Amino acid sequence: MHPERNIIPAAAKRLPGAAVTLLLICWTIVQVYPILFMFITSVKTDKQILNAPFALPDPLKLENYAIVWQGDRVAQPFSTFFINSFTITLGSLVILLFVAGLAGYALARGRFPGNSATQQGFLLTLAVPVHVLIIPMYFFTGQLGLRNSHIGMMLIYATLGLPFTIILMRAYFLSFPRELEEAALLDGCSRFGAFIRVVVPVSRGAIASMAIINISWIWSELFYALVLLDQPQVRTLPLAIAGYRPVSMAAESVIGQQFAIMSLTALPLFVFYFLFQQQIRKGMTAGALR
Amino acid sequence: MDFRRNLIWYLFLAPAVIMLLMFMALPLIQSLELAFFEWNGLRPREYVALENFEDLFDDRFFWGALRHTLIFAAFSTIGTVGIGLMLAMAIARRVRGAALYRFIFYLPVMLPMAVTAALWVRMYEQNFGMLNVMLRSIGLAHLEGTWIASRETALASVIAVAVWQFSGFPMIILLAAIENIPEDLHEAASLDGISEPQRIWHLTLPLIRPVLISIGVLQFIFSLKVFDLVWVMTLGGPAESTSVLGTFLYKEAFRKQEYGYASAVAVVMFIVIFTVTYVYQRLMRVESVEF
Repeated sequence: MHPERNIIPAAAKRLPGAAVTLLLICWTIVQVYPILFMFITSVKTDKQILNAPFALPDPLKLENYAIVWQGDRVAQPFSTFFINSFTITLGSLVILLFVAGLAGYALARGRFPGNSATQQGFLLTLAVPVHVLIIPMYFFTGQLGLRNSHIGMMLIYATLGLPFTIILMRAYFLSFPRELEEAALLDGCSRFGAFIRVVVPVSRGAIASMAIINISWIWSELFYALVLLDQPQVRTLPLAIAGYRPVSMAAESVIGQQFAIMSLTALPLFVFYFLFQQQIRKGMTAGALR
Repeated sequence: MDFRRNLIWYLFLAPAVIMLLMFMALPLIQSLELAFFEWNGLRPREYVALENFEDLFDDRFFWGALRHTLIFAAFSTIGTVGIGLMLAMAIARRVRGAALYRFIFYLPVMLPMAVTAALWVRMYEQNFGMLNVMLRSIGLAHLEGTWIASRETALASVIAVAVWQFSGFPMIILLAAIENIPEDLHEAASLDGISEPQRIWHLTLPLIRPVLISIGVLQFIFSLKVFDLVWVMTLGGPAESTSVLGTFLYKEAFRKQEYGYASAVAVVMFIVIFTVTYVYQRLMRVESVEF
């Protein structure tokens, strides 16, 4: 578009390109090496981990994965934690997106008394640091039978995601064309019917972005899980990792297994990031500058 | 009639409002109430007025946790935003492989914090940990450290991990801000014969300043809530040298069963973080940059 751009910046007026490239390469190594180290170590034998920490795996050993998946030294097999995390993340997302979608839509469309007061209320909840709720939460989830329960975790995670997601949903529905729903309403659809049958299908993209923004924090959440899930069979992946704390590397013979657990926990998010990088980064930008 | 017509909207809002009342407003009020009681969770609770707060302000471990939280938040904010800014400016020069750098530098942000922490526990380990092994192998054995295992270096080591993980976050935001600066402005500056450092100082930085402040405050608020990293890496130790408000609250409540006292911690935490966040939200709404 602007051909001049390539001519004007004379070499003398620019910082040396080599220095910039060096900076970028150094930081790439700093960022990538620990992550690579995690995956590589997860396919090594413990002997090799201690004797040749830098070496590539020889032989490549997938046994660590098999052991943790079926459960060996850990009381529960890793597959249990994986399924728990998966169930809770999926359930939380479904509840969160449905509830936030309804609320965001009502705030964007409805002209009813209390609309702006409700919005102010949601904005207030956005500023609440969630850690401070934990003590009452611990007791009343116990009374309601929601402690050590996947349903309980889903409801809580969905609630913690609501303020942020409702506000983004409302912004989205403000720009949603009214004509579509109005046609459905004229055809005799109820408001709810129009929402489910017309608005939701057309908004698939926006709903998917909301899911993308929320998946990673739910998958990684530790604090609430630590307090509310004390039975081994209901625990999630971050808890399984936090519970694996050896004193010294030498005294421990399950390092490879621990790295396998860490890799298996990180992997779904990496795959997910690889598939949806654009949306994830855009969501971050929008979310951070809200 | 009006109410009946609006009823549908109230029904649409009802699930969200009920969930937020039940799982947010109610626990918040109960936390506030519980801070005025002494309670171990079993015996009937006992009203002690402001005693929990008086004890709290006399508790050097509370002040320690508050101090560590502020140090952690300040330095991890400076670190992440500083590095993020440098990376964003480097990538904005349209270096070769810009898309790849952007992809890679955001990768650690995706890691669950528990994984990052567990990974760095291994990296920091004294005898076989990658960091010391590496220092030894390049002949810098005198720089070997005990990292998270000693009081002097533990907090700094945890901060370093936070910077390692989250620099990509401000980078993405700042990169978007820099790329939003109209090309003409850069060209005008280049035509005027202004050198690159001058251009960064007089053009880029002033234009992205609102975003820079915004992301800095956001990162600071986020860091005040630190729990996962500290919990998995050190449990607040050694000798409480990395104890932060989050871990202090957790230990008082769920290790010592001092639920009233821990609620007082929660109230202080709430006041500090809620105020900062709320003020930030108000300010951000009025501040925006137009070209």
